[in-house]
Amino acid sequence: MKIVVIGAGQVGSTVVEALHDEHDITVIDLDEERLSALAERFDAAVLVGNGASRRILEEAGIRKAGLLIACTSRDEINIIASIFSKRISPETKAVVRTTDEEYLDIWHERELDVELVVSSERETALAVSQLIGVPAARQTDVFAEGQVQIVEFDVDSGDRLRQQAGRPLAEAALQAADQGEEHVIGLPLRQAQIPPNSKVASIIRGDTIVVPRGDEAIEPGDRIIIIGSPEAAQAWSRIIAPTESRVEDVVIYGAGRTGLATARVLVEQGIRVRIVEANRERANKAAEEVPTARVFCASGMDEEFIERERINKAQAAVFAMRDDAKNHYAATLVKLHGVPFTIAIVHDARSVEVFERAGIDVALNPRLITAEEIVRFAHDPRTQQVTMLEGDRFEILDITVRPESKLLGTPFRDLPQTGALIGAIVREGKAVFPHGDDVLLPGDRVIVFTESKRVPIVEQAL
Amino acid sequence: MRPRLGVDLAATFNLVGGLVKYLSLAPLIPAAVATGYGESPAPFLLATAIGFFCGWTMERLSYGKKQVGMREGFLVVSLTWLLAAMVGALPYWLTAEAQFASPVDSYFEAMSGFTTTGATIVTDIEALPHGLAMWRQLTQWFGGMGIIVLALAVLPRLRVGGRQLLETELPGPEIQEMTLRIRETAQRLWLLYIALTALMIVVLSVIAWTGLDATMSFYEAVAHALTTLPTGGFSTRARSLEEFGAASQWAIAFFMVVAGANFALLYRAFFRRQPRVFVRDEEFRLYLVLLMLGAALLAVELLSEGVLRGEAAVRHSVVNAVSVMTTTGYASADFNEWPLLAAIVIVALMFVGGSAGSTSGSVKVVRHLLLGRILRRELDQTVHPEVVARIHFNRRAVDERIVRAVSSFVLLYVGVFAAGTLLLVMDAARVDSGIGLLDAVAVSASALGNVGPALGVAGPMGSYETFSSLSKGLLIVLMWIGRLEIIPVAIILTRGYWRV
Repeated sequence: MKIVVIGAGQVGSTVVEALHDEHDITVIDLDEERLSALAERFDAAVLVGNGASRRILEEAGIRKAGLLIACTSRDEINIIASIFSKRISPETKAVVRTTDEEYLDIWHERELDVELVVSSERETALAVSQLIGVPAARQTDVFAEGQVQIVEFDVDSGDRLRQQAGRPLAEAALQAADQGEEHVIGLPLRQAQIPPNSKVASIIRGDTIVVPRGDEAIEPGDRIIIIGSPEAAQAWSRIIAPTESRVEDVVIYGAGRTGLATARVLVEQGIRVRIVEANRERANKAAEEVPTARVFCASGMDEEFIERERINKAQAAVFAMRDDAKNHYAATLVKLHGVPFTIAIVHDARSVEVFERAGIDVALNPRLITAEEIVRFAHDPRTQQVTMLEGDRFEILDITVRPESKLLGTPFRDLPQTGALIGAIVREGKAVFPHGDDVLLPGDRVIVFTESKRVPIVEQAL
Repeated sequence: MRPRLGVDLAATFNLVGGLVKYLSLAPLIPAAVATGYGESPAPFLLATAIGFFCGWTMERLSYGKKQVGMREGFLVVSLTWLLAAMVGALPYWLTAEAQFASPVDSYFEAMSGFTTTGATIVTDIEALPHGLAMWRQLTQWFGGMGIIVLALAVLPRLRVGGRQLLETELPGPEIQEMTLRIRETAQRLWLLYIALTALMIVVLSVIAWTGLDATMSFYEAVAHALTTLPTGGFSTRARSLEEFGAASQWAIAFFMVVAGANFALLYRAFFRRQPRVFVRDEEFRLYLVLLMLGAALLAVELLSEGVLRGEAAVRHSVVNAVSVMTTTGYASADFNEWPLLAAIVIVALMFVGGSAGSTSGSVKVVRHLLLGRILRRELDQTVHPEVVARIHFNRRAVDERIVRAVSSFVLLYVGVFAAGTLLLVMDAARVDSGIGLLDAVAVSASALGNVGPALGVAGPMGSYETFSSLSKGLLIVLMWIGRLEIIPVAIILTRGYWRV
């Protein structure tokens, strides 16, 4: 496949590195030096010029390309390039990188005609939340701006807990677990006290998939997939694994876009977030935009502050300041004060190793994460597919219902029970977890869980 | 040499004169009513003539192509309300009615009317001729939505520079910026106001015609609708709502609750069919909670002391709590005779007020809500000096300027209330009128909050007639300041306002 990449920065070169073996790549950038450095390392054609110019796009061969990847650091260039590309060659798929989450929302509302919009900030935030995430979960993913969460759990048989019996903490946990088992596990689903705003999407028992009808029950040893609100995901986690310690208190250093995006995602999950930001203006903005987070206007580097505000009581700390060196220093300092888990956002790809060698638990590079997301899409550019679970056995789709869909107006209780399930509806930007009497309305965005082989049927029905 | 003045007085007088000129047409309505009942319309026609002439003269003397700016706005609004009450006082004074013998009494009654206070110096309301009684109700109706808001809605000359005037007169802090053109805003507010008044007349008339309440009649329905929606509280009866049946009392209580709600919300709920705005609005929710809390406290007190029982206890608790908190000032029972604890609840409710953007007076629910959040933040920042926090209202950060304005408003409000109380007590001691401290507290809070009735001689079934002229003057000032929410008057009292 021919691929046109606009932008030869970190994201662009990572994408080229991953794709140049299999694909025929042309890279466009304004910076000649960056291009020649790229051309030296990889087998790719290069073109100096503005990616948001029709002439340059034509010259790069957009008509024959199967995919356009617009990943400069400037949102407007990327969007304009994708618009021109769609005009010149409607068949060419387009991927747009953005730093503004608003464009992501616009794309989710199907107002931006491209196949994928990737926000570095959002991807990084999601990566952090997956690291801190839901205890005991095998895999988690969030949709609809973090309002809908999909979690995969292994249901323990409870033996592990019973082995620890005798210790007071384990005793209490065992009781809680027994309660969970009493009310949920082993009971037919229609009688089980399932946490509100959640649904069991699938039960995997060995090699077979059990469609979770009302008369089925979750048994110990099953693997289950849950769709629900972030609070419901936590509730499930308490039922499945009462002893695992939950991360309830996170400190974020830096209230830039990545810091704020991370704060938003974590707050949505019911985690207490504290933000430390030295710049007063940015601190004010953080306090305005994430009202439930606690914002400190401080460097966060002096011991007196760390002691007084009990920063060391946090179970995890995220470092999202602009300066890698500052992140490194602050992370080490906070770690010294006893924060068990530190995650640093690293801007220079080469520093990732430095950070992890130096004892920071995880170092994330937003550009690498973004590039990975783009590469994943380039390998398998099926539209609307958002996440795969259990290898590629299940998919979670995020689809806007067509106005002519036959399912419109049918109460959920009357929808056929097959391997596919509508876990949540996003209506006017708010997630709704449907009950039996709810109906689909035109313009609803639905989060659908389905077996991969049923994807075409589901897409057709909606 | 003349001192250099930073305020354009000519433009101010020109505009105020124009407003007075148009306002003086209002007594033509009671003139028609008087004629209809076979009474002499002369006092009203004379009032119109005098008012129109004075306004016209003021306008003429300061003739010029001068436009008021934001700075003159405060003076325009303050003066307009003082002069409007003078025009309003003319019909009382010109009628050969013994109860309005003194000009201070007439001015008091008119100021109480326009500011929708509802305090009265009349002892025998039933003796008033129909025209005059209707004029009393009408002053409240005009004052409720605001004289200037009305002018903005109908007078083309105020199109420019009117925003400041509107914001100065509308009650409550401007948290949500108005996005509409001011003329449109003013027209919408008046349209809704008229619609709600009409609806209430219909409801009360139905109660009258179905015989649910023998005392209610079409005349009473109109009279009470005219003073319920502006949260005014003038009644045609000396014993206020006590003489009406339970059905009327419940209906009036309902409309008082409506009148104390934010008109912007009401507009969206009724004309845009978005009833969910009520659920989403933090102020409205707190407003309802406080109303219920006030009524519940009264009910518990009344029931446990055995003053009233059964439905009557609940009804009188609800009606009077709603009436006082929304600063309407009707009474369905003489709460003056209730136990002390109930009286204290009543006084406390006087400080609550209705919602911002309603016709009610006093501090208003949103300011209490914000003040609570401001204090919490202040305490929090004492322990955690680095904490940066914004005050949120309805999920949006409130501008820090408004945060400061709310704090200073409440401070000024309490200050003016305390000063008013002290002066009343001192004057009471001077003339030996026997008004005690608690009575003075209630009277001061009632006048400043535009409530109306207070405790003691000024209780819901009493009148302010026995107060000395000095005290009446003080109360006129308190009502005036309270209606304009203190700040405009406070501003024109600063030196910085007048200097270049």
